[in-house]
Amino acid sequence: MSKYLYFFGCVIPNRYPGVEFAVRWVTGKEGFDLDIKNHPEFSCCPVPGIFYSSDKDTWLLLAARNLVLAQEDRRQILTVCNGCLASLMKATEYLQDPKSMGKTNRILAQIGKKYTGIPQKAAEGRRKIFDPVKVRHYVEVMAKDVGLDAIKEKTKHPLKNVKVAVHYGCHYLRPTEHATFDDPNDPVMIDQIVEACGATSVEYEDKLDCCGAGGGVRSHVIELANSLTQDKCTNIATAGADCIVTGCPFCLLQFDNAQKSFATDGIPVMHVSQLQALAMGIDPISLGFDTHNVSAHSFLRKIRGH
Amino acid sequence: MGEAEKTFIGGLHEELVEDKVIDEAQLDPDFAEQIRKYGGKDVMTCLQCGNCTGVCPISLRIDYKTRNIIKCCQFGLKKYTLGTQWVCATCYRCYEHCPADLNPAEVMIALRHIAIREGIIPPFIKTAATNLVKYGQSVKPDPEIDRVRKELGLEKIGTEHPEYHKVIREINVLVHATKYDKLIGIQDEVKA
Repeated sequence: MSKYLYFFGCVIPNRYPGVEFAVRWVTGKEGFDLDIKNHPEFSCCPVPGIFYSSDKDTWLLLAARNLVLAQEDRRQILTVCNGCLASLMKATEYLQDPKSMGKTNRILAQIGKKYTGIPQKAAEGRRKIFDPVKVRHYVEVMAKDVGLDAIKEKTKHPLKNVKVAVHYGCHYLRPTEHATFDDPNDPVMIDQIVEACGATSVEYEDKLDCCGAGGGVRSHVIELANSLTQDKCTNIATAGADCIVTGCPFCLLQFDNAQKSFATDGIPVMHVSQLQALAMGIDPISLGFDTHNVSAHSFLRKIRGH
Repeated sequence: MGEAEKTFIGGLHEELVEDKVIDEAQLDPDFAEQIRKYGGKDVMTCLQCGNCTGVCPISLRIDYKTRNIIKCCQFGLKKYTLGTQWVCATCYRCYEHCPADLNPAEVMIALRHIAIREGIIPPFIKTAATNLVKYGQSVKPDPEIDRVRKELGLEKIGTEHPEYHKVIREINVLVHATKYDKLIGIQDEVKA
């Protein structure tokens, strides 16, 4: 079994602590008991819509700093966010180019760090081989490393009669040059996890569309971002879903906040880890749903069968 | 103007529609080269097929057509492209559907780089960068959330731990080393 480091990013710890709790609980002793720990020195990934868009050199340096920490610990980074995944994974690819690795390391030297990748055992007399630091998405680790059978086994309270609308989010799927762990045109992993929790994943129109928030659109022209979200929510409501489940806290934030401005009642939004924790029998009070804008009360009542 | 023409010209400023004549002084012959410098591919390879626009969630909604922006890049109409707002959601649909393998989303990223160097800096860039150099995170910590964290039995946000000061210092050094602080005008916040 691989060893991991938690990488929560910015949105989860500062806006949705319930997701952090759910992830820790699901991966921890009471859940799947992964070999996973904190790293107190991780910073922002940094967020691609800001830093990758304004200065790639700075973006790469800040990302490399995080990668070096995982390299020193010889562990994989487990991200819980599509943005962190895209940013860090892209950085490992940039750093495969010796020129950009050299340029980055010259500046990283000022803080006493050097990115090489993780050294692998080489045959006697051969040159040392370095593998890039592995960056994994929570969903991928759940579906592949933990496995759907294990998830089914741990499901104490199957979420029967719960209809879930799964939202993948763009950077989970694209660009396909790096996001290869799930099928970008027909992704299945979150749906499989949802089904393993006993819930039903409903089909809806334009399922793979953007939530509207990414790339700085939410920060720049919020009405535009919200209009994209509104279309998605209309399709989700038509499909009769009880909740929206996503693997990305930024999509979660967008769905959760945008729905405030709509005339219709909101559909509760949660991270896939929160749904898993519910199926595994956690007390919902630990999942921090009161920090969500759209109330999850009626949804929680439904799954308890009241 | 007919509907078809409007669609074709969509994304460009009205002045372009009204002026009709673009004189050479407005053209920047090095523009394609500048885009390459900031990581975009060669815009001259664009076939103008319009696939990018057809799959773009933003192009479907507002007067921002990916294909037209690429066309302007080919002409060297810098002035028109830098004025477009930061509305690309970087969903990379255009990249998946581009037969010329141009990756229009990366061209948009390169355009943002150029705009920033011309002094067109959206305020949220400064806000996020300031948060990063102050707290090590681009989202500002919230005391109310810290209260919830305590209730859930989670640790306080790391930025207040004494050992985290080192991290913030390192970030400040890196941001200063690339002159990023000066580029976006947050040099007063950076302590390097």
